[in-house]
Amino acid sequence: MSAVATTARAAERRSWGPAWYGLLVGGMIVGLGCFVYQWVNGLAVTGLSNTISWGMYIITFMFLVGISAGGLIVAAGAELVGSERFSSLQRLAVLLSGAAILAAAISIMPDLGRPQMVWRMLRQPHWTSPLIWDVIIIGVYLTIAAVDLYILTRPNPRPGALRTMAFFALPAAVLVHSITAWIFGLLVARPFWNTALMAPMFVSSALVSGLGLLIVTAHVVDRTTEWEPDRNVFDDLGRLMVWFIAVDGFLLFAEILTTYASRVPDHLKQLNVLLTGRLAPVFWAEVVIGVVVPFAICASRLRKRRGWVVAAGALAMVGVFAKRINIVMTSMFMPLVGLEPGIPGGRPGQEFAPDPIYIPTWVEAGILLGLACFIGLVVTLGVRYLVVPERRPAG
Amino acid sequence: MPEDTKISPVDALPEASREYGAIGEVSDDPRWGMAVDTERCIGCWSCAVICKSENDVPLGMWWNRILTKGEALDTPETSESGGLDMSWVPLACQHCDDPPCMKVCPTSATFVDAEHGYLVEVNQDDCIGRRYCMAACPYGVRVFNWGEPEYAVDGFDLGMVEGRPIGSVEKCTMCIHRLEEGQVPSCVWSCPAQARIFGDLNDSDGELVRTIEDRGATQLLEEKGTKPKVYYLEERRRRSL
Repeated sequence: MSAVATTARAAERRSWGPAWYGLLVGGMIVGLGCFVYQWVNGLAVTGLSNTISWGMYIITFMFLVGISAGGLIVAAGAELVGSERFSSLQRLAVLLSGAAILAAAISIMPDLGRPQMVWRMLRQPHWTSPLIWDVIIIGVYLTIAAVDLYILTRPNPRPGALRTMAFFALPAAVLVHSITAWIFGLLVARPFWNTALMAPMFVSSALVSGLGLLIVTAHVVDRTTEWEPDRNVFDDLGRLMVWFIAVDGFLLFAEILTTYASRVPDHLKQLNVLLTGRLAPVFWAEVVIGVVVPFAICASRLRKRRGWVVAAGALAMVGVFAKRINIVMTSMFMPLVGLEPGIPGGRPGQEFAPDPIYIPTWVEAGILLGLACFIGLVVTLGVRYLVVPERRPAG
Repeated sequence: MPEDTKISPVDALPEASREYGAIGEVSDDPRWGMAVDTERCIGCWSCAVICKSENDVPLGMWWNRILTKGEALDTPETSESGGLDMSWVPLACQHCDDPPCMKVCPTSATFVDAEHGYLVEVNQDDCIGRRYCMAACPYGVRVFNWGEPEYAVDGFDLGMVEGRPIGSVEKCTMCIHRLEEGQVPSCVWSCPAQARIFGDLNDSDGELVRTIEDRGATQLLEEKGTKPKVYYLEERRRRSL
């Protein structure tokens, strides 16, 4: 890169930097304000009810745990198979993992009715609860990301240190997604969740969305800073994406086919909500945007052009988010004991809600905006102080 | 209404009513259970309403409700003979012996109370309001305090139990406060059709266990393996309107 271009880029960064930080901090303030407002007034300010008692917060939590996959698995996988290709991405990848899992841990807070009591999970953990397993594995995963990042940013990394870490990072990564899946998959009350495929599906869509995040962020960071990834790395990431999407799509198909063919009434009723019912638009968006289109891009020659790979990564993330919505909502719409007049909604004037709808409110949107800005800030600061210096000439 | 002006409904009752509501003989290690006779139930919602006032259940929620079989709330089923049928499923916490809600609670706020007849109880002090138990309950009987609890008439709380804090989950306690006074739950006591039988499932000679055996009682969603302590007595004949 010529000196002129570098100076021009630096100048551009200087002009846009304050606005970008201002945007992120502003968004975080809005989010914090919404959180306090919700804390004072209760979850009544959300669109949730006793029937649909989990909503955007849980969906976001699942999504954030998922997108944390890409980084550590790419970094650790690269280390274990001795791949040189991805080493230029390692710092960014681990940073993204850490930021996403940190945000996932934080995203549990707004979903609590009594956030001030959260410490009781630590004082008196109930070991049969998958939530406790999840708290532990998220802690472990966050620690591994932090240690990895420390190793990667030291001036002279000890050879093999990262490789040793990879032996812990990979099982932890598989576990963090599996346990998050088991929060749902182990419930007998929700036939649509209660499948052994839940954990494998979580791992596979986590890989898809995590890789998507890595691709999109690597592109943005490459364009806005002097950090430069390996020239061919986007092609390689696209190639990896083909396999991840193929496995994810296959598991989804296997699950749907099994449910459809076995025709267990409760289970089938929930499937029909997805295929033809109220959630059909979201489900088919998941299939087309999240599976078909990105697969077609990454499996074809379009992969050679970086713009297409980045588009595929973004679409894959959107698709996986749609999938999270579908997983949570399908079961929530359909209580097992479905006789009239249904489950009481929970608020004055909401005695019963036999056919409930869930529309997220501005409070939920505000809190999620704050969370997104928090991730943006962590990643921006991380890129600036931990990722970019990698490429700076010594002295 | 200040706390000290409350009179226990049990104390307020005439002697005859108190005798009517007495639990009676129990074993050394009582395991409280209930049988709901759907043949006797007339779907009047008396038990649901008295539950609401007994337990100060806020507006918008019910611990106990009457589900209607059929196409809709006020649309009866068509029987095999072409007549109209109506039947109901009174539904509250099933107090499972293997409760899915208890297993998933991260703080043990929901627990099986071995000292109170193995009922499934919630200690709201420990509840963090994650609502995992609500997702885990196959019966949909748990309700959440979404906002500050509100009542039909401000300050006019008839309840005999403490209110639950905002952001916590609550449900049927089997009127544990009445059981402590040797009285059956208020839904049992108040049923005008005497459709509910309360008793000790460990007392093999008691009316409850005998009725369950004689009538071949069933449990709701038995296949889920939750082992409810609430049984349903099926109709031996169908009423036609």
